[in-house]
This record gives sequence, structure tokens and C-alpha cells, in this order.
Amino acid sequence: MLTLLLRAKVPNDRYNRLMLAPLPLDGIRILDLTWIIAGPVCTRILGDFGADVIKIEHEQAVDPIRMGRPIIGDGPTLNNSGFFNYINRNKRSILLNIRHPEGSEVFSQLVTESDVIIENFSSGVLESWGFGYDHLKELRKDIIYCSVSGFGHSGPDNHYTTWGPTAQALSGQTIMSGLPDAPPAGWGFSFMDHTAGYSAAIAILMALYHRDIAGDGQYIDLSQVEAGSVLTGSAVLDYTVNNRAWKRVGFPPGNHAWEPQVAPHNTYRTLERNGDDDQWIAIACLSDAEWESFVRVLKLSDDLSNEWINDSAFSTNESRLRHQESLDRNIEKWTRARDGYELMALLQSAGIKAAVCQKPGDRVETDPQLDFREWWQTVYHPELGQSTYDGVAPLLQLTPGSVRKASPMFGEHTDEVMQEVLGLSSHQIADLRAKGVFM
Amino acid sequence: MGPLENLTIVEMCGPLGEYAAKLLGDMGANVIKVELPTGSPSRKIGPFVDDIPGPNRSLNFFYHNTNKRSVVLDYRNSEEDRNLLLDLIHEADLVIEDHVPDDLPSLGIRYEEIAKRNTGLLWCSITPYGLDGPWSQYGASDMTALAAGGPMSMNGYSPEDVPDAPPIHGKGDLAYKTASHYAVIGTLVALRHRLKSGEGQLIDCSMHEALSSTTEVGLPYWLYTGKNILRQTSRHASVQRTDPWQFPTADEKYILVFGTGRSAESWLDFKKWLQNDGFGLQLDDARFDDPLARQGGRGTTESKEINSELAKFIASKSAEEIYRGAQHRRLPWGTVREPHEILEDNHFRSRGHIVSVSISDANKEHEMPGAPYHLSSTPWELRLPAPELGEHTDDVLGDLQDHSLRDR
Repeated sequence: MLTLLLRAKVPNDRYNRLMLAPLPLDGIRILDLTWIIAGPVCTRILGDFGADVIKIEHEQAVDPIRMGRPIIGDGPTLNNSGFFNYINRNKRSILLNIRHPEGSEVFSQLVTESDVIIENFSSGVLESWGFGYDHLKELRKDIIYCSVSGFGHSGPDNHYTTWGPTAQALSGQTIMSGLPDAPPAGWGFSFMDHTAGYSAAIAILMALYHRDIAGDGQYIDLSQVEAGSVLTGSAVLDYTVNNRAWKRVGFPPGNHAWEPQVAPHNTYRTLERNGDDDQWIAIACLSDAEWESFVRVLKLSDDLSNEWINDSAFSTNESRLRHQESLDRNIEKWTRARDGYELMALLQSAGIKAAVCQKPGDRVETDPQLDFREWWQTVYHPELGQSTYDGVAPLLQLTPGSVRKASPMFGEHTDEVMQEVLGLSSHQIADLRAKGVFM
Repeated sequence: MGPLENLTIVEMCGPLGEYAAKLLGDMGANVIKVELPTGSPSRKIGPFVDDIPGPNRSLNFFYHNTNKRSVVLDYRNSEEDRNLLLDLIHEADLVIEDHVPDDLPSLGIRYEEIAKRNTGLLWCSITPYGLDGPWSQYGASDMTALAAGGPMSMNGYSPEDVPDAPPIHGKGDLAYKTASHYAVIGTLVALRHRLKSGEGQLIDCSMHEALSSTTEVGLPYWLYTGKNILRQTSRHASVQRTDPWQFPTADEKYILVFGTGRSAESWLDFKKWLQNDGFGLQLDDARFDDPLARQGGRGTTESKEINSELAKFIASKSAEEIYRGAQHRRLPWGTVREPHEILEDNHFRSRGHIVSVSISDANKEHEMPGAPYHLSSTPWELRLPAPELGEHTDDVLGDLQDHSLRDR
């Protein structure tokens, strides 16, 4: 814990500016019925820019990420998951039993006071509780209702479900990542939970813009698989226009380029750092001019093992593509004895696209760019102490997003929201609580 | 018509930022793509129609530039064209550009000066590392961006599958697309502020920051435990090694398995499915009743045995049979499909996800993915195929002269 405390920085200039700037989504209220990752990523973004995100929770169906690793302490308390804290900052949490008759009434009143409702249940769940879009619209005429599901709310398979990795598999991302003669490498995290969240945020912001101009709300149906499929358009067109499927000899091409077809384009081992030998630099020469710069750098680096560079086999891109294996081996002989960050600076100063394969720890502790941009922000959390978060992308010069609050304790804001949003008295709240509405 | 129909956008992007303008154009915005006479760099990126390169033959360009009009202006070399560009920007609501930070200012095209005349102008700069800082002048490709931003360090192979494998670059330009998603989010948020206040602003969209925000548990693990997570084959990178998720089928595909029944009921259902085919008969032993023992990633002998029976079961069947069989048992598994296989899936077709477009030089309608989201009253719409280089120069400059750029 000591090192974590030491990392907490004194608020800096950018931090102070962030705190003083107006929040661009101030005044927008989001009823957040989502859990796991995709939905919460969406509402994290809206909260970062100032929307009032009210996360509705229930004791009988706790968001599994509240117990998600890393857990800090001996066992889960619902409030000590580092992962939950990371994706639920800037939100409020209330406990509400929507299936209790009076809980349903409280929920109806919250709907009338909200701009957006978002959920990521399986198709039909909210409807079965009596809150389909038609009813929501009766409660609030201009409501924006966003459902995030694996397969969308229509179509023969609408009851099928996904997690991020299955959506990646079905939409083509998994098979587009890997070495040619090995199983697919896929993605080592739920890329499509992030991306479904980004797509939902975009759709909601577009619907809000339309509402602000035209006055009407609408129903957004987002399928995680479709949000993934749209990322593969070039490969689909290669099939429909050129009749060429993705799976073919040499595919997926590892870290060699797909399009544009250029070489060198790969990752190369670099010198061990801090006792960790899993160190790589990605280098891409996208044009002949970049290759010529690369040649100059290698010739200047005063290393006898670089004489291969004069071999005519490497003089044109076409020829380099044909001799990629030996090209890569030769380059790695040069990188292997050097520090990745030094190579990155050397190559970038010569106009060559190169970057260290940074691990999470590298970004937090070493990355000078994120440090310069004052990217890391620290906020106090009652069970996790001073907690560090990434900042808010992109940077809006006039109305930036900010990290103002840690993730909420389970049900932390029930009373606050009932008083402030619905105007209930403490007597009314106690009465509802006694009836089991807030659980 | 989409929700953004009253927005006029000037786009000056290559592969990094053009997807952002597509997302806006596909939802109704009037996107004017300004290109140099040599054309956007993405016109040189394949695949090409019939594998023959040419400015109007790139399928990569074609996909990422729907619902845009193309205007050629030589703003690098011609004062006259530069002034026309400035006039266009003066009429616009938003500029989206992905030039290296000092490039456009060095040509006299500066947000700060233009904004003096057009105070409501939004200007979104999409750059590899952001507009300031020690790496701001650094270049990036899709791969180097995924390397620096962190996602790549989590993708790859377990040592037992491929020893000494590097971090793997997943194809599909997902770094560019992630930057574009963040650019659109920032733009729409800034648009809301403009609606309330009339104020425009600069949106500084760093691909590096967008990707650094897209690494799931990677950061929490480091921030709370000081540990980096380790790459594994086609499953989550993790502090401890976990059991495989990906299994080969009888028809030489793979199935991605996500969970084998957390509740007692779904476990029974799963077990029966295997046992009907004579696999996993030993799973009736009481030691498999504990859900924690069954959970992959804890290294129990039970979870390894389940996996070994599951592998044999999956190897005996087609991917489609396993996929449908699992989903009918409410197990969220999926086939590892090729991108085009979405076209063959009636579910997505019936939802209108597949659209047909005519492609210049190919003279035929071709299918591709359409809407990423369905908005009930302002839907996604394919109004225009990607433009040929300079196809709309005369139209747009004529409209500019008549002050009718915004009437469509």
C-alpha cells in the first residue's frame, strides 16, 4: 500500500483547470441498469463529461465486477474491486428492487426525471418487468432508451448472449489476430466490451443531439456483434468484390503487414529491462523514404553486424517482402542488444514509426508522453485509498472531462438520490426501506 | 435521415481519422472530404478491386469513406486553393483532420485564427500522441500505436502453444478505429456544449490516450497490485495462467468457450449435452459439484478434466453445431468466424445489418456491414458510396460561391 500512496500526486495545473471548467454534459441524467463491462464503459464516458449517472443495483443481482479481480484485501466486500473502481468512477449507486410494486413506482418516477435509460440485459428482460420502450415513452415522452446486447433485440437469434470474447470471435476480430501456422491469438482482453461501450456512447450522444434540436427521443438497439462486424469492412469487401476469404496461406500474417504490404513491419526483441526479458519494439517502414532513413540509422549505429543492410535483397519493398524472414532476423540482431525506449527515440528522430510494446506498468511508470499530458489522476476511495485512474480522452480544450469521484460504494447514494431527484422526505425513505424497496 | 443532418463537416484525413468522419456522415452529416491532388493516403492502401491499385480502386478507402463528397484542393502549393479551403472551413460546423501537429499551422491553416471569424467552429485534431508533449512529433502506424498504447502487450500466445511468441498485432486498423471512436465521442460532447453556449472549441484527440483507455483489467492490476498481466492464447491476459478457451472443431474451425455453467442448473444442462454423445461420463462424480472447483483459471484437476472432455466433444462436431447447441443452452459461446461469415448469418441479415453498395470500376452491387447501431427515428443510412477522387470539386465549390453549401 505504501507504494500506492506514494504514487498519489499533488493536484497539478491541468487537474486544477479540469476541476474549474464547465462540464459539457451537465444536466443530463442517465439511469444506468447495465453491468459487467460494455454498458459501464459507456456510462463511464458519459459520467466523465459530467452526466449524472445513477447506477441502479440490487442485492439479489450484484454486478459481478464488484467481485472482479484484482480484489484488495482478504475477500470481496463489494467495494474493494480495483477493476470495478476503474470502470465506475464518477457514478452514483442506488439500491432498488424494481420488481417490488413500490420499487416499480420509484423507478417510474426516476424515468420521468431522466434523459437516458441504458441497459444490457438479454432481449426482453426489461419488457418482462413492465418497462418496454412504449411504456418508458409514456412515462417520459422524449426518453432515449439504449439497449446493449449481444445480438440486438430483433432477429431469430435475439435470445443468444455474448461476452466480449465471443463477440470478438463471431465478428472476425479473433481470427484477424495471430501467427500464420498457429491457432488464432485473438485479443487478450474484451476489446469488444470497450468498443460496444464506445458505440453506445456515440449512439446516445447522437440521439441527445437530435432530441435537443427536434424534441423527440428514440430507441437505440445495439448489438455487440454488429458493433464488431463494422470494424472488418475492408476484409468483407475483399471477399464480396475479390472473392478472397481471410483464411488463406500465410494468414493471419502475425506482425507482418496486411495492407499496405510493406516491410519491415514487425516486432523485435530488445534488451531486458528491470529483470523482465519480455521486451519488444514494433517497427514499421511504410514507404521507401522511411526504409532509406532506417538504413541510414543502421549504418550510423557503428555495428558490424549491420553489414547485411547492403545486400541487394533488401533494396526494394517487393524484394524485402520476399525476404522478410531474414530481414527480420537481421533487424532483431541489432535491436536485441539495445534498450527499447532508446531505440524508439533514435528511430522516431529519423522519421521511422517505432514504439515500445508497453505493458500497463510501463505506461504508468515510464511513458514520458502520458506523464507530460498529466494523464494519471488520483481520487480517494474509502476502501481502496488514494486511487489512480487514467484521464479522459479526448481532451476538450474548453470543456474537458474529468475524474471527480471514485466508484460508488454499493448503494451509497440511495438516500441522496431519493431526496435530491425525487424530493422524498427522510420519513418516506425510511418507510420504503422498511418495505424492502431499497435492497 | 440521420440525427446529424444539419451538420457540415470538412474532413482532411487519411487512415487514422477518416473512420470518425464516416461515423458522422453515416448518421446524416454533410461531410466534405478535402484531398490533395495526389488523393488521400488511404486510396493507396489495399485490398484493391481485382488487385489493381488506383485512386478509385481501394476497398479500404471505399469502406471508410461512405457518405462523403470529395473535393480536390492543393492547399500545400496553391494560395488560391488554400483560400478556398479557408472559405469552406468558414462555412463548416466542424473540421476533422489527422495531420501531424505542426503541419497545417505551417501552411497558415490555424484553428485559433479561423475561430476568430467562426467562433462556433469545432476542430477535432486526431494525432498519434496528442498536440503537445515529448512524443507529439512522433509518427505511428496502427501496429506501433497498439504497441505504445498497451493493447498489444496483452495479445499473443501461451508459451506452451507458441514458445517465445511476440505480442501480436490484431489486424483491421483497430488503433485507428479506437482513436476515431474517441474523436466522435469528443466531437458530439463538444457539439452539445456549443448548442448550449454557442462556443466552439479544439478537440485534441490522442490515439495513444484512446488506446491507453482500452486495456480493461491491465491497468487495475498494475495500479493495485504492481503486477503486469501475461499474454495467453486467445483468452484474457492474466496474472496467473488460466485454462484454454479456444478449441478446434471437426470442420477445422475454432469455438470460443466462455464458461461451462456457473449455476447448478446450467452445469447439469452442459453435462447432459456432452454425455448424450458419450463424453464426460466421469463428470457425475461429486467432486465436480463445487462451482469453484469447476472454474477455469484456478488450476484444479476438475477444471482440467472438464476441458479435456470438452475438447474431445468439440473435436467431434462442426462449429455451427457446437455454437447453436451452446447458445440454446444459454452458454455465451461463439464460433471463431472469418469477417465475411456475417453475410451468411440470417440473424444479422434479417436485422438489416448487411447493405449493398455499387463500387466504382466494379460495376456491380457488393455487400458489406452497415449500421453499428439502430436508432429508431433517425437511422443509419447509406446515401452515397465513397467518392472518386475530386468527384464533387465543382459541385462543392459552386455551392460555396452561391452560399448554398449547407443546402442539400
